[in-house]
Amino acid sequence: MGPDGAPGPTVPWRKVLWERQPFPDNYVDQRFLEELRRNEGIRQYRYWAVVKEAGFVGQQLSCVALFISLWLYMEQGLLCPETLLWGSLVCALLGYGLYQSLLPQVESGCEPRTGLADLQSAAIFLSFTFGFSPVLKTLTESVSTDTVYAMSAIMLLAHLVSFPYAQPSPPGSLSLNAALFASVCLASRLPGALHTFAMLSCALMVFALWPCLLQRLKETAPGHFTGVCVGVCVGGVGGLGSQSPGGAVLLALALGSVTLLCPLLLVCLQRHKDNIHGPWDEAEIHEDLSRLS
Amino acid sequence: MVLKIFFPQCCNRADSGLLVGRWISGHESAVVLAVIHYPFIPGQVKQYIQQMQAQSGVELSVLGSWSLPKEGQEGMESFLRDLSTIFPQERWLQIKRTMGKTGFTCQILNRDQNGKIVQQEITKKKKKVKEEIEDEDHCDGGDNKEQNQEEEEEEGEKVIFVHYEQRKVMLSQLHPIENGVPDTKTEPPSELRQVFQTVASNQPLFFLDRYDDGPLKSTHWQSEGREASIIVELLKQASVPLCFFISWLLSIWTWVCNMRVFSLYPLKFLSSKLSTCIQLSYRTEHMRTISSSTAAKGHTEFMRKANVLVSFLVDVALGLLLISWLYRDNHISTLANTLVPAADHVAKELEELLQWLMGAPAGLKMNRALDQVLGRFFLYHIHLWISYIHLMSPFIEGILWYGGLSACLGLTFALSLLSDMVALLTFHIYCFYVYGARLYCLKIYGLSSLWRLFRGKKWNVLRQRVDSCSYDLDQLFIGTLLFTVLLFLLPTTALYYLVFTLLRLVVVLFQGVLHLSVDFINSFPLFAMGLRICRSYRLAEGVKFRVLCEEPGTALHLLMEINPLKCSTVIQTYRTPTYSCYPKDSWAALIKKLFVGELIYPWRHKTTKTD
Repeated sequence: MGPDGAPGPTVPWRKVLWERQPFPDNYVDQRFLEELRRNEGIRQYRYWAVVKEAGFVGQQLSCVALFISLWLYMEQGLLCPETLLWGSLVCALLGYGLYQSLLPQVESGCEPRTGLADLQSAAIFLSFTFGFSPVLKTLTESVSTDTVYAMSAIMLLAHLVSFPYAQPSPPGSLSLNAALFASVCLASRLPGALHTFAMLSCALMVFALWPCLLQRLKETAPGHFTGVCVGVCVGGVGGLGSQSPGGAVLLALALGSVTLLCPLLLVCLQRHKDNIHGPWDEAEIHEDLSRLS
Repeated sequence: MVLKIFFPQCCNRADSGLLVGRWISGHESAVVLAVIHYPFIPGQVKQYIQQMQAQSGVELSVLGSWSLPKEGQEGMESFLRDLSTIFPQERWLQIKRTMGKTGFTCQILNRDQNGKIVQQEITKKKKKVKEEIEDEDHCDGGDNKEQNQEEEEEEGEKVIFVHYEQRKVMLSQLHPIENGVPDTKTEPPSELRQVFQTVASNQPLFFLDRYDDGPLKSTHWQSEGREASIIVELLKQASVPLCFFISWLLSIWTWVCNMRVFSLYPLKFLSSKLSTCIQLSYRTEHMRTISSSTAAKGHTEFMRKANVLVSFLVDVALGLLLISWLYRDNHISTLANTLVPAADHVAKELEELLQWLMGAPAGLKMNRALDQVLGRFFLYHIHLWISYIHLMSPFIEGILWYGGLSACLGLTFALSLLSDMVALLTFHIYCFYVYGARLYCLKIYGLSSLWRLFRGKKWNVLRQRVDSCSYDLDQLFIGTLLFTVLLFLLPTTALYYLVFTLLRLVVVLFQGVLHLSVDFINSFPLFAMGLRICRSYRLAEGVKFRVLCEEPGTALHLLMEINPLKCSTVIQTYRTPTYSCYPKDSWAALIKKLFVGELIYPWRHKTTKTD
C-alpha cells in the first residue's frame, strides 16, 4: 500500500494524527509543502534610498569626529573655554529657535513641553555641571593617559553601535550614557575646571540635543535633512583634517564605506536571500500594544 | 520462652526466705528486690508489701522462695513449697542454691484454672503434681529431685539469672531521660528502663536498715543508717534557711532593678549592650534556680541545680584567686600606669596608618582630594579621643581598683568587665568602622543603581527584578555624571573601608574570645562531668552483660554491668542553656556582608529569657 502501488483505500488521507487512519504515521501525500512560501515580505531596496538612510549613520560618525577635534583644540590650548561656551550658547539658542519653529505634523498624545520646562531643564544641567566640574576634573588624575584614551574610545564606539538610528528623539540610554562617560573621561584631562565645564556643555549639546533637532528635521523637512547630514560629514572631515590629516583620511574612508559601499553590498546581496515561511513559524503580534499602557 | 530473673548480688548469700519483687508485664522477667527471712507472719508480710506498694507506686508482690540450706536446715524445702499456698500467685519461683556450688537452680510453678498448681510441661506429658514431688523428695533425697529438675529445665522454660548491684542500679539514671508519665499510646518503656525504674522507685524499701528493729528481717542493699552521714544531714538542714536568705536578697535586688529610673531608654539600651549587665542578670536567674524552696523533682532538675551551684562556686573560687593575685604587689597601679601609654601608642599607630593612606598606599590610585578629606576627618577624631583618655587618666587607677573587686562575684564578671572596658577603649575604632562602612555601603548602592540606569534598566520593587525603563534626558544626564564620579572615587573609599574593617575585626575577635570563655564557664556541666568521672554508674547509657557461670544443668548466670554515658553525651545533655554566644552568620553570609558594606556584629547574644 504505497504511493505508487495500487490505488489506496477510498478514505482520503487527512493531515491529523488523532484519528486512526490506514496510513502510516509519517505518510505524506502530494500536497506536501504546498504551504511553503519563500522570501515573503522581502523588501526591494533601491540604492539611493538606502544611501540616504545610511547618511544618517555617517552623520553620527562625523559628530563624534567633530567632538574629538574640539577636544583636541581645547587640549592644545588653541581654543579657550570662554569662546567655546559662547559658541555653544549661540548654537543652542539657534537650535532651540529652529526646533520650536518646525512644528510637528503628527500631534503626539502627550502635551508639548512648555518653554518654562525647557528653561528649568537647562538650568539644572548647567548648575549641576558647573558644580561638579571641579570634582570631575580631578577624577582621572591618577589614571594613566593610555587607560583614559582606551576607555573613551570604547565608550564612543559603544555609543555609535547602540545609537537608535531609527528614532533618535527619545535618546537611547546606553548610547547617551556611553557618550557622556567618554566625554567626562576626556574632559577631565583638560587643564582647568572651566575647560571641563565647557567641554561637558558642548558634549551635552552634540550628543543629547542635536539628535532631537535632527529628528524634528527628519519629520518635517526630509530634503533639508539630507543636506544637513552631508554638511555635518564635510565639517567632521574638515575639522579632523585641521588637526591630523591621517585622521581625516581615515574618517573619509569610513564615511565612504558606510554611506556608499555598504548600501551597494546590501542591494547586491539581496538576491541571495532565501527565507522560507510556513504555518510552522512562531506567531508574531503585529498589533501596537503601546496604546494599552 | 526465656524467663529472666534480675537477682541482686547482695542476696547471693542470704538465708532462706521469701523473694519480694515485681513481675515485669509483657517481657517475661522478674526483678527481685529483697529476701524476707524467717520467722515471719504471712499477714505481716502482706501488710508490709502493701505499705511499700503505696509508698513507691510500683506493683510489688511475693515472687517465690529462696533456699540456701545451711547446716541443720533440712526440712526447709517442704516448708518453702507450702508457702506457695499461703501467697497465691500466678507463678511461683523456687530458687535454690547449695553451698559450694556457684549455680542456682530454679523451679517454676504455675497455677492453672482450677487453682491447682501444675508444673510447666511442654512436650513430655509428665504431669507432676506437687504432692508427687514431695513424695519423691522424701523418698529419694536429693538425686532424683535434681534429675527431675534437670528434665524440667530441658523441657520447660529456660531461666536466665541476671545479677545486678542494687545500690548502683538504684542510684543510676538511664539516658535518654523520659520525663513525666509515659503516654499509653506510645510504646511501653523498654524492659531495662522498667528494671531501673523499679529499683529506683523502691528506695523506701531499702531504707529499712540492719539497725532497725522491726517485725521483719530482710536482706537487700542497706544504707549505713541515718546516723552515719551526719555531715550530709547537717548540710541538708542548713540549706533551707540559706535558701530563704538568698531568695530574700534576690527579691530586694529585683526590686532595685525594676525601679523606674532604670527603665529610661538610655540606661536600658546601655544595659542591654554591656556584657557585665547581661552576666549579672544571668547570674540572678541562676541564683533564683538554686534558691527555690521546692525540692528538685526529677533527675533533670536536680542535675540542673547541682550543675549551676557547682559552676557558680568554681567561678567564685577562680575570681577570688584572681583577686588575690591582683591586689598583691601593687599590680593594680602597674596596670593603670601601663594603660594610658598603651592607649597613646595605639592612637599613634593609627595616625601613622592614616598618613600612609593619605599618601599613595601600596601604589594604588587614590583620588587625592577625597583622600585628604577622609584622612583629616579621621585624624581629628583620633585627636579628640586622645584628649579624652588623658582627661580620664587620674581616675583609671580607682576604676581598676573597684572593678577588680567585682571579681569576687566570679571570674565571669571580671572577664565581662574586661570585655566592656576593651569595647570602651576601642570605641574610636568602632566609630571609624561605622563611618567607613556607611560610606562604602552608600557608594556600592549608588553605583549598582546607576549602573542599571546606564544600561537603561530599573529595579522593579514589586516584582523584585530588573526591568527596562525609558528615562528622561535630565535623569540620564545627571545619572551618568554621578555614576562616573562614584566609579572613580571607589578605590579610595574601598581602601579606607578595608583598613577599618580589619581593625574592627581584630577587636571583635578579642571580644569574642572573652565571651566564649565566659559562656564556657557558665554552661559547662561540671557536676555532671564530675559524676561521670567519679561515680560513672550514676549516668547510664545502657548495660552490658558478662557471663558468670555457664554450667550445663544449671541456669545461665549473667552479671549486668552499667555502661556509663559517653562524655560528649554528658556535655550535650546537661549543658546549661545560656545566651549561647555563637556566630550569627555563616562564613558565606559574613563575606557577602563585608563585600556589600553592611555593618557586621558577628557575635550575637540570644535573649536571656529562653522560654
